[in-house]
Amino acid sequence: MATVQTHLNRRSFLKLSGAGGAGLLIHFSWLAALAKENPQLEKAYELNGFITIDTDGAVTIASPNPEIGQNVKTSMPMLVAEELDVNWEQVKVVQAPLNTDIFQRQIAGGSRSIYQSWDALRMAGATARYMLVQAAAAAWRVPASEIDVNEGVISHKASGRSSGFGGMAAAASKIEIPKEVEVKKIEDFKIIRHSKRNVDGLDIVTGKAVFGLDIYTDDMVFASIVHPPAFGMKLLSYDAAEALSMKGVQEVFTIETYPENFERGYFDTNAFPELIVVTGDSTWTVMKAKEKIKAKWEPFDTHSIKMKGTGAGNASDQKVPAGRDTTEDQYAAMFQKDKEKGREVRKDGDPEKAFANAAKVIERSYTGPYLAHSPLEPLNFYANVTNDRAVLIGPTQTPEYMEQSVAQRLGMSLQQVDIQMTRMGGGFGRKLFGHYLVEAAVISQQIKKPVKLMYTREDDMTFGCYRPTYLATFRAALDQDNNLTAFHVKAGGIPESPLFANRFPAGAVENYLAESWTIDSNITTGAFRAPRSNFMGAVEQAFLDEVAELAGKDPIDFRLGLFNKAINNPVGKKNDYDAKRYAGVLELVREKAQWGRSKNGVSRGVAAYYCHDSYVANVVDLRMENGKPVIEKVYCATDCGIVVNPIAAANMVEGGSVDGIGHALYSMLTVKDGAPQQQNFNDYHLIRNNDAPRDVETFFVDSDVHPTGLGEPPFAPAIGALANALYKATGKRYYHQPFMVDVAGKYLPKEQPAG
Amino acid sequence: MKLLNAHLSPSIVISSIIVATTGLLGMSTILDRKTGVDEMVLLAKEDKDSAASVAAFEKVYPVLMHPRCMNCHPKGDVPLQGDDSHIHSMLPQRGPEGKGVLTMKCVTCHAPTGVEGARTPPGNPEWHMPPADMKMVFEGKTARELALQLVDFEKNGHKDMKALRDHAGDDLVKAGWEMGGDRELPPLSYEAFKQAWYAWIDNGAYAPSK
Amino acid sequence: MALYTINVNGAAKQVDAAPDTPILWVLRDHLRLLGTKYGCGVAHCGVCTIHLDGDAVRSCVYPISDIGTKKIVTIEGLSEKGDHPVQKAWLEWDVPQCGYCQAGQIMTAASLLAQNPQPTDEEIRRAMNGNLCRCATYTRINKAIRTAAKEM
Repeated sequence: MATVQTHLNRRSFLKLSGAGGAGLLIHFSWLAALAKENPQLEKAYELNGFITIDTDGAVTIASPNPEIGQNVKTSMPMLVAEELDVNWEQVKVVQAPLNTDIFQRQIAGGSRSIYQSWDALRMAGATARYMLVQAAAAAWRVPASEIDVNEGVISHKASGRSSGFGGMAAAASKIEIPKEVEVKKIEDFKIIRHSKRNVDGLDIVTGKAVFGLDIYTDDMVFASIVHPPAFGMKLLSYDAAEALSMKGVQEVFTIETYPENFERGYFDTNAFPELIVVTGDSTWTVMKAKEKIKAKWEPFDTHSIKMKGTGAGNASDQKVPAGRDTTEDQYAAMFQKDKEKGREVRKDGDPEKAFANAAKVIERSYTGPYLAHSPLEPLNFYANVTNDRAVLIGPTQTPEYMEQSVAQRLGMSLQQVDIQMTRMGGGFGRKLFGHYLVEAAVISQQIKKPVKLMYTREDDMTFGCYRPTYLATFRAALDQDNNLTAFHVKAGGIPESPLFANRFPAGAVENYLAESWTIDSNITTGAFRAPRSNFMGAVEQAFLDEVAELAGKDPIDFRLGLFNKAINNPVGKKNDYDAKRYAGVLELVREKAQWGRSKNGVSRGVAAYYCHDSYVANVVDLRMENGKPVIEKVYCATDCGIVVNPIAAANMVEGGSVDGIGHALYSMLTVKDGAPQQQNFNDYHLIRNNDAPRDVETFFVDSDVHPTGLGEPPFAPAIGALANALYKATGKRYYHQPFMVDVAGKYLPKEQPAG
Repeated sequence: MKLLNAHLSPSIVISSIIVATTGLLGMSTILDRKTGVDEMVLLAKEDKDSAASVAAFEKVYPVLMHPRCMNCHPKGDVPLQGDDSHIHSMLPQRGPEGKGVLTMKCVTCHAPTGVEGARTPPGNPEWHMPPADMKMVFEGKTARELALQLVDFEKNGHKDMKALRDHAGDDLVKAGWEMGGDRELPPLSYEAFKQAWYAWIDNGAYAPSK
Repeated sequence: MALYTINVNGAAKQVDAAPDTPILWVLRDHLRLLGTKYGCGVAHCGVCTIHLDGDAVRSCVYPISDIGTKKIVTIEGLSEKGDHPVQKAWLEWDVPQCGYCQAGQIMTAASLLAQNPQPTDEEIRRAMNGNLCRCATYTRINKAIRTAAKEM
């Protein structure tokens, strides 16, 4: 067989149709990046943007999205491999490069990777399979319809002929791409719905997996930053004499990450646009040197920054208020705001009247603190900026957006900027906000050398982009027969409101009112695993538990009653959940946890929540020991549509549940005069092994519908179930997160009774 | 001030006596085990100055009860940590030798000299807690209880008076003043502490009445 | 700067570094052994865990001047082919999510089982309590250790 050179410049388009994929457009070409990871691939045949097949039959599949621990690097290629009918054990997976021409939405966020690529990735696999079959049909002069493909072998039963993929790869690459391809029926799946272990597993357990922090080149210098110690402050002056006298230190200078006239995109959140930078010959050199820089800081005035907006011509100014916030004052301001009328977002029926006529009314307030995402790999990035090119390598959840920011900041075209994705040592939303890679680029441009920018843990924790701090007040009305007749939620936060006005129990109550408010601050915040849901889901479910108790009903029966109402006679039209699926996970967890059975010394709580298009219900079993909960077991029932990779899905739900529970019990970032009071894990507490649930058991609804989110949905309901179990164990309701901190005693306004 | 010594405390029944003698200072430590009375008496020479001894111990006591000292002398088997003496993060356990257990030994985080920093663990080649068979608890002890315990040969690591006196010069004791970061220092300087400690012992190692 | 000869994964390595350089940065910056990670720099997260004469040690707070003749083993030296019982159990349970902390978890678990091949559940939890996993894979970590213990 003749060897054909790769089609590096091939520009093929695949128009997708059917299976809900109408209008999807994929553009193929990624071999250049493959060649970088695996030089052996130079002679491989590029069938389309996701697959290459070598002449010896080796199949390489590129995973387009950033890998942050959600395991898309395994599950996305599984979708391709399924339709290709290749033996999974023979597949090599590589990280695709950022290429917005080829791939859609290369983002790790919003639990959307599988959801959004479900059709496109299967189409890619099916297209390649089609091309291989056509090539075989032509070679063997038999009808394509008589050809089978199984585990990487193409065969024709009648003639007894067969070939591996390698034998047909060259011919297949010349087959015209079909306008339509068939994809498999769900019952025919051999890879999807079957557990496949992490493709990087062996690399991870042997220390070979490459994270952003692991990018080293021989010519790079190391850089560290010094930023204002408090929000609301900026640099006045600095003295770097001592730092510069240290051996190995090269330069100390300032950078403007986002100059005043820079139009920022959504992911350019940054509280400290001017920084001091120190460069040197090793990480330890710059870490020590940054401590020796004597900087003076001053409060800034209220000013505005320019925001790009979502389309051409809708740029706007965003106000950055002056001031230096303190946690106690923030809580006081939130409780003050809570007393005022909020912005009405949704109203059904006549809530005022229903509350006036109620037999019982219950009102409770809940708070959640700032949370620092704290991915264990701190922010870092490698940048090599030359006159006509910028190469950046490291951990980012939003390479596509940061490519724009870097190009804009350096005055380059998008083509001149090359952002390469590494595995990320966690992100949880923090690495959506890529100021740190713009900083690396600006530093490299300034010193004209490749640079690796490293944040210390303290830098990472005190640089902002926190989960906002929230307050929600709920009010419920019951009639004489203990039916829920009215529901009122008023929620707000600094600087955003967590409210989802159209989520449950909206649609299940005749009289409903949702209000929202916000308070400005210069403390920057950003999406944190299950944004807004991470708070609202937890507290709404804790409140409903109390309402059920007031109504004298079992908490599951009470919720199922409301879902029945939403199924049979929904109120309003904009309810953004499927009540049947919601009820389904509750029924599943009820069965699996044997709800209603009593266990000696164990208290149980239940909750269910919907977000990112998926439904999760939890039962938490715990007992108290020395004032702390020992969580014996967490049951999680999930409906995320088709479960692509069961072992990884279970891992994600286990971790998500424990993550929610951990933050609700222990984590809190406070500020004093604008300065974060926790700077490292010695006082910013994350859940540890000994405090983690002893066991988490996961159950998935057997489903044939389009797969939905999995990384974020398990977080919130676990907190609700935890709070409700804690009440059963202690007789005390927990209103203020984190539960193991005396938030009411230490931070809340004194006149504010707990709850 | 009520002082406790053999001459003034006839109620002490001397039976089942455990005696540790210190030839140098000529003192004996007597503990009544039989009655269960948690008292111990110093048999001091006539020329000892009980008032001066107790006065010295009252300087020593707040140092020993300071987080820099007390954190490794907790009631339980997990050390304390920080200026607020919270339970040590990660819950390392004492272990039989006071050096931790398995993968949570003191040396897991406390290197011989360690790395300087605001939050780094203090380094010391000998970093440890009192061993399991002699826990030498400071936490929660009154001055009197602590003094009695310190001179008790059976509880103090089998130190006679000379060894006890010399213990003030121990590297790990001294480390209480050298932990670095923004950790609060004990209320006396190390030198002043040593002088107070010697004065307490040299004047008879009397226990305060409370 | 000073010249040190240290024993890493069975080989003598010569390094010119400032005496207070944490061994973590010697491994990473000087020797390019990148499996040992940086997470906090204050011994609170455990991602930098190595073995020092068999003890699990936080390399971020252990200066090179304190190493002397002690033998360092990093994740790269735990086994030749990634087939240490702990590594195998990690793969069987598909423990990692982001994977960043796992080298530290594995090094701690390997040290635990070397000293106590049959730990109780409580001993496992206590032994692993210094290693944070931000993805919260703790239940799988503990299951994998129980599996590995069967092979010890």
